This record gives sequence, C-alpha cells and structure tokens, in this order.
Amino acid sequence: MEFVIEHLKKSYEKKEVLKDIAFSFREGKIYGLLGRNGAGKTTLFNCLNRDIPVDSGSFFLEEHGVRRDIKPEDMGYVLSTPTVPEFLTGREFLRFFLDIHEGTVENPRDPEEYFDFMHIDSEDRDKLLKDYSHGMKNKMQMLINIISQPKILLLDEPLTSLDVVVAEEMKQLLRSLKPGRITIFSTHILDLALDLCDEIVLLSHGELEAVEKSNLDQGEFKEKILSALREDSHV
Amino acid sequence: MFKTWKIAYSLKNTYRVNSILYALKQIPLLKRLLPEGLYRVRGFKILANILSGLWELVTVFLGKALYFLTLVCGIGILYEKVLPREAFLHIFLFLTLIGGYMKTGMFGPTRDKYYAMMLLGMDARRYTLSDYAYTLGKTVVGFLPFTVIFGLARQVPLWVCLVLPLCVAGVKLTAAAYTLRDYEKRGKAFNENKLEKHQWILTVVLLALAYGLPAVGIALPFWASLAVLGIFLPLGLLGIRKVRSFDRYREVNQQLLFQMLHQMDEAKTAPQMVSRKAISADTSVTSHKKGMGYLNELFIKRHKKILWRASVKIAAVCALLSCGAVAALLLFPQLRGEVNALVLTFLPYFTFIMYALNRGTGFTQALFVNCDHSLLTYSFYKQPKFVLKLFRIRLWEIMKINALPAAVIGLGLCGVLWASGGTENPLDYGVLVVSILAMSLFFSIHYLTLYYLLQPYNAGTEVKSATYQIAMFATYLVCYSMMQVRLPIPVFGLACIAFCVVYSLVASILVYRLAPKTFRIRP
Repeated sequence: MEFVIEHLKKSYEKKEVLKDIAFSFREGKIYGLLGRNGAGKTTLFNCLNRDIPVDSGSFFLEEHGVRRDIKPEDMGYVLSTPTVPEFLTGREFLRFFLDIHEGTVENPRDPEEYFDFMHIDSEDRDKLLKDYSHGMKNKMQMLINIISQPKILLLDEPLTSLDVVVAEEMKQLLRSLKPGRITIFSTHILDLALDLCDEIVLLSHGELEAVEKSNLDQGEFKEKILSALREDSHV
Repeated sequence: MFKTWKIAYSLKNTYRVNSILYALKQIPLLKRLLPEGLYRVRGFKILANILSGLWELVTVFLGKALYFLTLVCGIGILYEKVLPREAFLHIFLFLTLIGGYMKTGMFGPTRDKYYAMMLLGMDARRYTLSDYAYTLGKTVVGFLPFTVIFGLARQVPLWVCLVLPLCVAGVKLTAAAYTLRDYEKRGKAFNENKLEKHQWILTVVLLALAYGLPAVGIALPFWASLAVLGIFLPLGLLGIRKVRSFDRYREVNQQLLFQMLHQMDEAKTAPQMVSRKAISADTSVTSHKKGMGYLNELFIKRHKKILWRASVKIAAVCALLSCGAVAALLLFPQLRGEVNALVLTFLPYFTFIMYALNRGTGFTQALFVNCDHSLLTYSFYKQPKFVLKLFRIRLWEIMKINALPAAVIGLGLCGVLWASGGTENPLDYGVLVVSILAMSLFFSIHYLTLYYLLQPYNAGTEVKSATYQIAMFATYLVCYSMMQVRLPIPVFGLACIAFCVVYSLVASILVYRLAPKTFRIRP
C-alpha cells in the first residue's frame, strides 16, 4: 500500500505555502516530517485531513496497483494539544466511538482491554474528560485514533508536552502500530525524529523531499538534515 | 519631553492605523479586494492615518459636545425650579469631581501604554508625564468651545466660561497628586477602570447630589459652585509639583498594566470558562441510546443548567406575568380597552421578545466549546451522514427547549386577549399561539443553521467569521426594528408563519447541501 500525493498546492492569498507537494509514502514505515517554523507542516496535515480545501492536486491510496480515494475512516489525526469532548467520561467517549463504528472496526475488543492497552487506570475510566491530565487526554485521543486502524496516521508533534514516562509509552505504541499502515510524524525535535522514524522527509520551499541516509553515520546524517533545513529561509 | 511624546504618539498612531487596516480586512467582501501586503501600501496607510486623525479630533471634541448636550445641559433643562446658570454650574461641578477620579488621564491602563513602557522599555516617567500633559491639554482645548457655547446659553458670564476648562484640569491634577501620594503610602496603584466599592458609593452620592438636588429645587448658589471649582486652580498648580516630582511611575504602571493583561486574558477565555463550568459533574447521568443519539442525550443532560433549567425558569416567569396580567384585567375593567387594542396590534413586538429569550446562541456556543471543538478534529465525525444526523437531532432538541417558553407566552397572550375583552375573530387565538411558536422555531433553526453553515470558531474557540458576526447583528437589527411595527394579529401572524415555513425549508436545503463541507474548525 502506498499513500500518494500529487502536485498538491495551497496558497493563502498570494503566499504559496504548499507549492508542489508530490510524494509516495510506503506502508509499514514511520516518516519524520521536519520543517522550519512556518514551512507549512500543519497546513499540509490540515489539507490531508480535509479540514481546509486544497487549491489543486490530489492524494489517494494505491493498493496492489489500484488507486482509490481516501475515506474519512482511512485517516487518523492526532494533534499536539489533545482534543477530547470534555463533557463525556473516558468510557462514554470510547462507547460512543465503538457505537459509531459498529461493524467497521476489525476484531473489536472489550473497552476494558482498550483502557488496559493504553495504561489508563481503572479509577480514571469513569471520570469526566475535562478532569483528565494532559497526558491522559493525549492517550485517549491516541486510542480513539488507532481503534479504527486507519491506514494513515498523521501525528502533529504529539509527544512535545508529555512527561518522559508517557512519551516513552507513546513511542513504543507507535512502533508497535507501524505494520500495516503509514505513519507521518511531524516534529521539531530532530533527535526524536531520528530515534523513532524510518525515513526523514523535509518540507521546505513548499515541497516535500526525502533525505537519503545512504551510508552516513548518525552524526553525519543529522548534519545533512540541518544544513538542508538551514537553506530554507522560512523563520 | 516633546521627543518622548512624539515617539509615544507615533507608536499609538501606528497601533491605531494597523487596527483600522485590520478591521477593514475583516469585512467579508472588502477583504478579497484588499491586497495581501495591505500594511505596507502607502495609500492605505494615508487613508488610515486620516481616519486616525479624525478619531483623535472626535475624542477631543465630539465626546465633550455629547457630554454637554446630554449630561450637563440636556438634563439641566428639565429643572424648572432653579436658575439655569445655577443648575448648569451645579451639575458641572459634581460631574467634574467624578471625572477627577474616573477619567484621570494617568491611571487608565491601555494597550499602547503596555507596548511603550513594558515591551519597548520607554522611560516610564517621561512617557507618563508627556502623555499626561497631552491629555490635559486635550481636555482644556476640548472643553473650551463647549463651556463657552453652552455656558453663555445658560447665562454664565464669559470669563467664567473661559476659566471652567482650567478648573477641570485643576480637579484632575489634584486627584492625580492625591492618588500618587496615596501610592507612596500604601503601595497600591489606583486603576480608574476598576473602581473599588467605596469609590462606586462616592460616585452614586455625587450623582445624586448633581441631579437629585436640582430636582427638588435645590442648587448650590452660583458663586458657591464657582468658588469650589476655583479652589482647584491653586490646588492644581500644587498638584503639578507632585506629579513632576513623583519618581515611581514605572512601578505604578507595571501594576496597572499587569491588571489589564490579566483582565484581557480573562475576557478572552470567559466564554470557554462559562461553557466548561456549565458541564454538570454528575457522572451518574446515563443514556440508553446509541451513536449520535447517545452523544446528544449525554450532552443535553450534562448541560441542563444552561439549557432546560434556563428554559423552564423563563417559562415560569412568563406564566407568572401572564397570570398577573389576566388577574389585573379581571380586577380592573377600566384597563381592558387599551390592553385589548395593544394585544391586537402588538404581535410584531414579540419578535424582539422571542429573540431576547431564545437559547440558540448559548446552545451553539456550548456545542462548539464542549463538544464539536474536539470532535471535529476526528475524521469520522466529519462524515456527511453523521454531520446531518447530528444536525437533525440537535435541531429537534433546541426546538423543544425553545418551544416551552414560547408555548407559555402564546397561551399567556391568549389569556390576556380573552381577559381584555376578546376578539371578533376567534381565529386570532390560534394565530397568536402558532405564530409565537413559529418565531421560536425560526430562531432555533436560524442559529443552528448559521452555526453549521458558517462555523465561526477557530481551534482557540474565538469567533473568526465576520460574516457570522454581521449575520448576528443583522438578526438583532431586524428584530429590533420589528418593535416599531404595528399590525393586526391575522396579518402579521400569518405572514410570520409563512416566513418561518419558507425559511425552515430553505435553511434545511442549504444545510443538507453545504454543511458537510462547511462544518469544519476554522484554520
């Protein structure tokens, strides 16, 4: 399976944020999306999640040589600031989500199993989400995004404000979720991207470009990424 | 000092000019026509500068003109028992005393002060003194033409008219000097935008003296008012010494500007806080429905306080008022004729009442802040079938919530109509109830449709759609203008019902066609 983006463009008035995005992402890999401030990473994610309309271009899934449009259930999008409906309890949110996806989730499990899987304690499961900590909200958001097993998982700096324990749990989780899907992980932390991601993709001058590791060691690879980012004049 | 004033003024002006350009950029049609680099186009800058200059003139003169027209002379004319010049000076004296501490020209924290002193690190003493001198100058110049025009018209001698603006400056200087001395003693800065309880009480007392005494035929003798105002001339001169020698302006401003920033943050997050607080902490609330019905039922049950409870309260008050009106009509038959004529032609007035009582805006705000704000980031929630299903469920819900007070008002009006002598056309009763219900239905659909079609909020729960704000304002204007319309019940009632039916149909079609695309978080 491949996630293909072709000639995607997006401008705000005369400013071309995404000039010509063309890239093929492959199944089973985590892609680290790097770019300077204002390079358009969030705009790209918002376009792919269809939150904002694109000016031109297309994106689709290609499975066994057959192209098909991306359905909403193919896409999971985890934001850096976790957003969960605060008037529901964790259990109610999960129940609502499972109700909506009845018949479409493969091998649905018992809610308790999902909570255990995400390390959400039993005493927290019936609390209102507004009383959850930042880390717990983040776990809940991630859980909802992975239950339906989306083919594409977009992550916009999801680990930035988590404590070290939760961040490590999340990293392990993302590694375990890798098979069978395409994960695109946007971050500003280079070491995190190098630690977690299989491929590094730069968004600069409104275009996507893979950085080949070839036979460079970690230090040289890092320097190569940094010098490529320095060339981008966006600040 | 002049150099400091020049820098400060140009900073303030830049801020004002950019605000004007920003405001122009928010107007729906205009924003497409305006270029992207609006802030650097010379022509627009000049235009905004002219507007800014005009605004400066307005603040110097127009405010004072209105002040004299309404508060000093407007009300003063009503007093027949006292001499015109005595009433004029009496009111002027007490209002000037209030202005001394409510409009000091020094202790009002504003954004441009924050930028100048805190962000750009301008010398606080120089900045404050130059700004204060300019403000006082503006006060004197602004007052002068109006003390002369209005004063002469009220038989005040010319020399007094000429001295009065200086007295105003004297009062302000005296108040400023006192406040600065108080700061040295207590270390607490006075904020003219945040008066304390005793200062409010003082204001009420001074207002009562200003307007209450002349109403009962008492005004300070002309010479007494003049003497009190005159005392502030030497006191003001003494005040200048204190204002100039005070050297802790940085601390004072830091305290005031911190309060302002805190207030601004509070004002920004207020709608979110109100909506979040509205969530009931009762986790024993349950629902046996499934999917979107489950979500909606839990939402309604956990927001009972701002939805059903508010609606029941309004209905109860309306029921009480209606019963009271019916009882009054039965007890005092002489009222019936006039009331009957009113009820038969007053139906359009109820458009505004129904507008004011509607829970639609509170409902959509809570929907966004507590529910859609988060769920719209999940792609499953944006699927057209779910968007439309939830719209239907929500519409039904808000219609029920608004229908309760509407039904009570409709029946109450029928009661009043009956008790005041009834009508020749019995159909009027039916039209009355149905048209009030139709109005409530209209507002329910209107607000929810606007919300789904324009979805005005961004991820920070701020309203970012000028079109939405214009639509809301237009709704208000139309409803307000309805208060002026007088039409017989059948004419207005049937027209109103027809309009509501047509509007509902059009709105439903628009929502079904467009909402799956428009119901998104604003970037």
